[in-house]
Amino acid sequence: MDYFEPKTVSEALALLAQHGAEAKVIAGGTDVMVDIKYKEEPGCLVNIKKLPGLGAIQANGGSLRIGPLVTIHDIETNALAREKLPVLWEACHQFASLQIRNTATIGGNICRASPSGETLAPLLVLEAKAKMAFPDGEKTEPFTSFFQGPGKSSVGAKGLLTGIDVPYPAPGSHGVYLKHAVRGAMDIAMVGVAVMVTTNAAKNSLQDARIGLGAVAPTPIRATKTEALLRGKPLTAALVKEAAAMAAAESSPISDQRSSAEYRRWIVEALTRRGLEQTWKAATGKEVV
Amino acid sequence: MSLTINTTINGTPVSASAEPSTSLLEFLRDTLEYKGTKLCCNTGECGACTIIFNGKPINSCVTMAADAIGAQITTIEGLADGDTLHPVQQAFIDTGAVQCGYCTPGYIISVKVLLDRTTKPTAEDIEEAVSGNICRCTGYTKIVDAIQLAADRMAGRS
Amino acid sequence: MAKAEYTVLGTSPARMGGVERVIGKGIYGIDLALKDELHGGILRSQYAHAKIVSIDTSEARKLPGVHAVVTAVDAPDVRYGRTYIDRYMLAKNKVRYMGDPVAAVAADSPAIVKQALKKIKVVYEPLPVVIDQEEAMKPEAPTLHDDMPLPKNLPEGVKVKNVCSYTVVHVGDPDKAMAEADVVVDEVYETKMIHPQYLEPRIAAAQVEPDGRITVWANAQAPFGVRTDVARLLGVPLNRVRVLSTELGGGFGGKASGITSGAAIEPICALLAVKAKRPVMIVLDKAEETISTTIRSGAKMYIKTGVKKDGTIVARTGKVVYDAGAYSGFGAMAGARCTNMLGGWYLMPNCHIDGYVVYTNKQVCGPVRGPGGPQAAFAVESHMDSLAAKLGMDPIEFRLKNTPKAGDKIVGVPKLRDVSLDETITTAAEKIGFKQVGAQFVAPALGKNQGIGIATGSWIESAGPGGGAVVKVNEDGSVTVHIGKIDMGTAPRFGIPLIAAEELGVPVSDVTVVNVDTDASPWDAGTVGSRAIIVSGTATKLAAIDARNQLFKMAASQLEASPDDLEIKDKQIRVKGTPSKSVALATIATNAHNVIGEVIGRGYCDNLAMMAEEKAHGNSPPFTTHACIVEVSPDTGNVKILKYVAVHDVGFPIHPVAVEGQIEGATAMSIGQALCEQVVFDNNGRTMNPSFVDYLMPTINMMPRIETTLVHGYPGAGPYGAKGAGEIACVPPMAAIANAIYNATGVRIHKLPLSPENVLRGLKAAGKA
Repeated sequence: MDYFEPKTVSEALALLAQHGAEAKVIAGGTDVMVDIKYKEEPGCLVNIKKLPGLGAIQANGGSLRIGPLVTIHDIETNALAREKLPVLWEACHQFASLQIRNTATIGGNICRASPSGETLAPLLVLEAKAKMAFPDGEKTEPFTSFFQGPGKSSVGAKGLLTGIDVPYPAPGSHGVYLKHAVRGAMDIAMVGVAVMVTTNAAKNSLQDARIGLGAVAPTPIRATKTEALLRGKPLTAALVKEAAAMAAAESSPISDQRSSAEYRRWIVEALTRRGLEQTWKAATGKEVV
Repeated sequence: MSLTINTTINGTPVSASAEPSTSLLEFLRDTLEYKGTKLCCNTGECGACTIIFNGKPINSCVTMAADAIGAQITTIEGLADGDTLHPVQQAFIDTGAVQCGYCTPGYIISVKVLLDRTTKPTAEDIEEAVSGNICRCTGYTKIVDAIQLAADRMAGRS
Repeated sequence: MAKAEYTVLGTSPARMGGVERVIGKGIYGIDLALKDELHGGILRSQYAHAKIVSIDTSEARKLPGVHAVVTAVDAPDVRYGRTYIDRYMLAKNKVRYMGDPVAAVAADSPAIVKQALKKIKVVYEPLPVVIDQEEAMKPEAPTLHDDMPLPKNLPEGVKVKNVCSYTVVHVGDPDKAMAEADVVVDEVYETKMIHPQYLEPRIAAAQVEPDGRITVWANAQAPFGVRTDVARLLGVPLNRVRVLSTELGGGFGGKASGITSGAAIEPICALLAVKAKRPVMIVLDKAEETISTTIRSGAKMYIKTGVKKDGTIVARTGKVVYDAGAYSGFGAMAGARCTNMLGGWYLMPNCHIDGYVVYTNKQVCGPVRGPGGPQAAFAVESHMDSLAAKLGMDPIEFRLKNTPKAGDKIVGVPKLRDVSLDETITTAAEKIGFKQVGAQFVAPALGKNQGIGIATGSWIESAGPGGGAVVKVNEDGSVTVHIGKIDMGTAPRFGIPLIAAEELGVPVSDVTVVNVDTDASPWDAGTVGSRAIIVSGTATKLAAIDARNQLFKMAASQLEASPDDLEIKDKQIRVKGTPSKSVALATIATNAHNVIGEVIGRGYCDNLAMMAEEKAHGNSPPFTTHACIVEVSPDTGNVKILKYVAVHDVGFPIHPVAVEGQIEGATAMSIGQALCEQVVFDNNGRTMNPSFVDYLMPTINMMPRIETTLVHGYPGAGPYGAKGAGEIACVPPMAAIANAIYNATGVRIHKLPLSPENVLRGLKAAGKA
C-alpha cells in the first residue's frame, strides 16, 4: 500500500486524480482503519491530517465555519458550537465514545456518507453547506443535496471536503437531536431525528419547521412533506400526531441485523413527536396542547 | 513501504519502523513490546486499547502508527512512579475492580484522564469518560467504587 | 472483618496478581511470543451445511513464507466430543456451520497467512440449512449427522430428526394432577444464542520440543482438557503433551476447550507445529470468535402449570427444545440441566418434562456460565408471575407458598438439608423497597411507566469431578500451592490463598498459587461449574492441613510436646498456651530436608464422599433472589433499570469481595442477555453481527449499581461451608426484568431479548402503544 501525507490541498487533489479508485483518504481513521483491517487495503492511502487550515472552528458573522479535520470532541468542547448550534452539538455529544470523539473528524463522518452518520441529519436541518475542492476549482453545495446514497457524496473519488459552513439558526429557533439506540451513545444510531422549529414573534405558531432523519433512508433526509404540513400553523397535539405519522411515512428504512423497518418507522414517529414537543416547549415555554 | 515513527512514549523518545497500515496498537504491542495496552475488538468498540495521545484518551487500534510521529503518548506502563502505583491503579486493586484484568489498563487510562480534569466527577462525567470501556467481568459496580475511591484519595478526602 | 473463629477467612485482601494487571504486564495468552514462531490461521466453512467435495491446498503451499497447510487428511482419523464423539478438529466430508474449521495454515506473518487461506480451494456441495431447532426435528429437515444415532431413550413412537440427546423428568402423576388443578397456565418462552464475549481473544501456541514432546500454551479454562484433546486428536500418549496455562482475560465457559469440544484450536495449532517443524501461534479475532467458538444456546420452552385456588402448585408439564448447534459439544449436558430446571426449585409433587437437544447449522453449545439455567429460569420465573396474576395473588406471596423447607425434595434434589430460598426472597423484597405487612408485600411508590419485579434461582454446582491440591512449604516458610484450576478473576487467586494461609498460620502474602502446568499440577476438570472453591478449596484445605501435620510431627519432639498441642502463629510453631515454647516455621521447614525431603501436603476433594454425604444428609444448594425496578419508554420500548438488588446464599464467603464480584459480573452478563445481546442469523446460517459494532454488550451507562446482599447460616459442601458463586447470578436477571416490565406495562414478553423493539412490539400487540 502506497502512503502519502500531502502538504497542500492541490497536492492531495493531484494524488486523488492520479490514483483514482485505488486511493483512499484517511483523516481520523476510526472508519478507514477498520476497513484496512477487515476489508481490503487500498492501493494507496492519502493521509490529509497535515493539510493546513482545515482544523479550525471560526465564527464568521452569522455562521460557524468548521474545518473538516475538526474532531467531534473539538466541536463538543467549543462554547460557540454549543451555544449557537445545539442540534449539531448534541449529535457530537452522542457520538460513540470519548475515545472515538477525540479522533474522529466531522469531515470523516460527512464523507463516509453513512445514512446513520450522527452529524448528518443535524447538518441538513441547519442547512449547512459543504465547501469542496476539485482539480478544476472549488464548489459549494448545501448538504441537502450533498448525499447521494450510502457511501456516496458530491465529494466523489476526486474531490476533497474543505469546509463546513453552518449558518446560525434564525432567532426564535430551537432544535434537538434525538438518537435512538439500545445502549446509548456507543451504538450506531438505529434512528436519528433532528428537529428545529422557529416560532413567529407572538410565539404561537410555527414560522419554520425542519425535520432531519438519519438511518431511515439511503441518505439522511429532510421530511419535506411533514415540514410543509407544519409551517405556519400553531403546534397542537393533533398536529404533532399527524406530523409524526407523516415523518414516519416519509422515511424508507430497511430491515437489518439491528432492527426491522417497521420498528424504525415507529421510532421516527416517536422521536419526531418528542422532538416537536420539546422544541415547542423550549420556544414558547408551553406544553403542546 | 516502511515509515520511520519517531514518537515519545511515557516520556521516552523512541524510533522504530512501521507500515502505513500498522495501527498504533500493533506498533505499541508488536514492535515496541508494550504489552500493557490490550487487543480486543480491534474496531474501536471496547476501549481495551485506550492510551493517552497528546493529552487525550483515544483507541489506539483505529489510529495509524504514522500519526504517532511527534506525538506524546502515555500507556499504562507510564503511570506508576517506580514501585508506587498511581492512585487509580491502587484504587482498582483496593475495591476488587480487577477480576481478569483485561479491561483494566484501558479503564485506568480513561479514569486517570478524567480525574486529572476533576476529582469531583459527577455520574455524567464518569459515564462520559468510560462509556467506551467495556468490562465483561465486574458488572461495573466495583469499577465505579474504584473511580470514587481514587477521586477521594487524589483530592485528599481519604 | 474475619469471622470470629478465623484469622483471614472471610476477609478481602487485595487480589493476588492485581499489581501486574494494573501496571499492564504481558501475562495473558495473547501477550505470548515464542522464539522463532510462525503465525497460524484457520480457514472456516463458507456454508452452514455442505458436503466437502474437494480441498486443493497446492496453491497455498507454494506461496513463499508458508510452512504448513493442513486439512483433515493430515490428522489421525479421530473425532472428539464431550458427551458424543461427533466432531473432527478439521472438517472431514462435511461442514455443519459457517465457523467450522476446514483447513489451517502456518506462515511467516499474519499477512501471508491471510493470503494463503485465500488460496485454498474448497469445492462445496451446499446442502439445505436448518437454523431453528424445532424445524430441525421435523422429518423434512436435512440430517446433520448421518452416523450419529438417535438417543436410545427417546419415548416410544416419537419420530424426530437431528436429536442429539433426550432427557426426561418425571415425578408423580402429572396428567392426573393437572386435570384436578383449579387454575392452569400454559405458556411458551424462548431465548436466543449468546456469545460469552470474553475480552481477550482465544489463542493457542505450540512447539515440538527436542525430545519430541509437544508443548502447548493456551488461555484455556481447562488445561487438562486441552491436553486430552491434543493427545487424542494427534494420536500421542498423554505424557507426550504438556499444556501450560497463561493468564486469562475472561472465559465464562467459552474458553473451556476439552469440556466443550467447541473449537479445538489447540489441537489444530499443535498439528501445524508438528508439520511446520517450528513453533506456531494462532490468535483468533473477536469477530471470528463470535462466528466459530462456543456459545450459550437458545432454548424454546413449553411450560404448563396447574395450581390450586390457594396457590399451591400441583403439577407441571413441559418441553424443552435446546439448540445444540452443529455438534453435540456441551449441548447434551446443558440441555439436560435446562430440562431439570424447568421443573423449578419449588415444591413440585407432579411433573413431566421432555427435553430434546437438537443439532442445527449454527455455533456449538459450550458450558457458558450456568449452562441451561438462565434459559430455564427465564421461563420458570416469568411463568410464576403469570400464575400469580391468574390466581390474583401477590407474586412474592405465591412464591413463598411453594418454597421447599428442610427435608423436602425438589426436582433434581432428592433431599434438601437446609433451604435459604425463603430468606433470599424476603430479603430481596425488602431491599428493593417492599414493605411486609403481615403476609402482604406492599410495593414502594413507583413513577409513571415504572415497574418492579423479582425472580428467584438456584444453581446446583455441577456434580463434576473432584480434583487435587499440593501445598509445598518452602524452607523459608513461604508456601507454594499447586491446583489444577486457572485464575480468571475467580477463586484460585482470591479465596484459595486465604485457605492455605489460614490453615498454615502464615500471612496471605507468603502464599503463591502457581498457574497450571499439566506436567506438575494435579489433574482437574478446570475452572468451570462453580466448583473452584468447592474442589480446589477443599483440596487446598486438606493439603495445607496435611503439610501442617507434617510440620507439627517434626516440631513436636523439638518442643517436647504432642503434635496436637501445637499451633502456627506469626511464622512460629509454638505450644498452645505456652508461646515461649516455639520454633521458627522456617527452621522446621528447612530441617525437613534431612527428614522427609520436603514438606509437601497433598489433599483432594473426594467427590464420591461429597455425594454420599449429600445423599445421607441432604443437599444445601445455593439459592438466590434478584429484584429490580425498571422504567419503560412506552413510545420506543427502551427499558432502563433504575434499581437492582441481588440476594445470594453462598454458604460462607471465603473472600467476600471476590464473591460479590462474581455475583455482580454474572448479573451483568444476564442483564446483557435480557436487554441487548443475541447472535443474529440470516436464512443461510450466516452470523450477521459478529463484531462488537452490532453484538451489543452492556456498557456502563445502561447498567444499574448491582446491590449485593449475602444471607448467612446455610453451610454448603465446600470448605468452611462455602458454596460456589461463579454462575448462579446469571440465573434470575432475565425473568426479574421481564417481570418488572410486566408490572410496569401489563405486557408479558415471552421471547428474549427484551430489546426496545421486542418490548414495543409487545406493547403495540396489547394495544398499549
